[in-house]
Amino acid sequence: MDFEQVTMTADDRVRPDGGIDALDPPPTDIMDEETLEPKALAQNAPKLEIVMQLLNQPALTRVYVYVCYWGPVSPPEIMDALELSKSTAYEYVDRLVDFGLVDRDESTRPQQLTAEPLIIVEQYAPIVITPTVLHALALQEVDDDIDYFLDRYGTGKLIAALRGAGLHFAGKTTQRMVATDIDVRETEAMMIIYALQPALAVGREHDPFFEYLFPDVADQMELPDLDGADGAPAKSEPHE
Amino acid sequence: MGHANPLSAEKDVLVDANIFFAIGHPTNPQYARFRSAVRNAGVVVKLPQRVIGELGGSDTERVRTAIDEGWAEIIDVPAPTDGDAVAASDIAMRTIAAETDQPEHEVEKTDAILAGLVVQYVRDRSTRGVIVLTDDQPAREGIKNAVTAQGYTDAISVYGLADIIGDDPGDSMRLI
Repeated sequence: MDFEQVTMTADDRVRPDGGIDALDPPPTDIMDEETLEPKALAQNAPKLEIVMQLLNQPALTRVYVYVCYWGPVSPPEIMDALELSKSTAYEYVDRLVDFGLVDRDESTRPQQLTAEPLIIVEQYAPIVITPTVLHALALQEVDDDIDYFLDRYGTGKLIAALRGAGLHFAGKTTQRMVATDIDVRETEAMMIIYALQPALAVGREHDPFFEYLFPDVADQMELPDLDGADGAPAKSEPHE
Repeated sequence: MGHANPLSAEKDVLVDANIFFAIGHPTNPQYARFRSAVRNAGVVVKLPQRVIGELGGSDTERVRTAIDEGWAEIIDVPAPTDGDAVAASDIAMRTIAAETDQPEHEVEKTDAILAGLVVQYVRDRSTRGVIVLTDDQPAREGIKNAVTAQGYTDAISVYGLADIIGDDPGDSMRLI
């Protein structure tokens, strides 16, 4: 018998609010015959697979978040804003269209792309995935600090750090308290809090589900103002 | 650009390490803005050894760069032992606990100790005044309360990063 499988480590129990807690098992009646209908399960499966793909492919996720936040946009706009080659941009767009995450309107030239925001909330895990969370993950493509943090601590802790960062910018916690709450070094907490600032600043304006992550402090955060260019993301710094 | 830089060569400037994380990497425009605000004021900002030590050393690139460029230095400030200084840390701790809705024992010592360090610094060195910079709102409130309660409002003032370099317009931030 393999006891390892049922052993939960503290890391498994890091909650998005930064706390560490034993999980209550969900009540058995949350699953009923209706939700367990093979037909219903079959419909849910593709969505799960898509989310897995997004979580595992930050470069693809970055394109999804861009289209979701700033759509309708055209493939050339994506290439410019995200500094992708033409072939890469079209490859990602095609895959996102295949997943059903991005809608392609080909009645205009160039084609226009839009994407519905995605939300997954599982209170018993607890898991919350919104465009803000996906954005935070996607930032590893362009931010060394986030790349380092994910490499060292993984996705769950990044989401915990995102929540901690939001509380920090709302003045509800200190950076050192976030470090203790999510069990990382103080320098790492300080570093990741500022690295996550773009996800919070953009999410607050563009993520319709932002309040799922920050029901308490969504409108209290002191974050940089984005009203520079009308809805268009600031261009990244020029390559050296 | 519209905002008055409160830094002045007349006063010592003690900086919490989080300021160095808020301004980002040395290539970041925010970092450059902070550096010129400090240089224009003719100041060398002081990083308490204790703060730097607890954060894992001075070899973080952004701290190292500032020291090498000569506008930051590490200073050895003794742990608060003076009655006023110890009381200041206690007041800061209570304030931070209240601001963050946490019990006092959950407050990080380093957050609260900054208030005591500053009071001790003023007493030991009898300087013309000290400016404290920290980017943590609850910690800032804690120091302010402690300073007021202990009667040091003339000698010690507390600011955040935005007070020094203005509000970040977001133009320097890579969004995605």
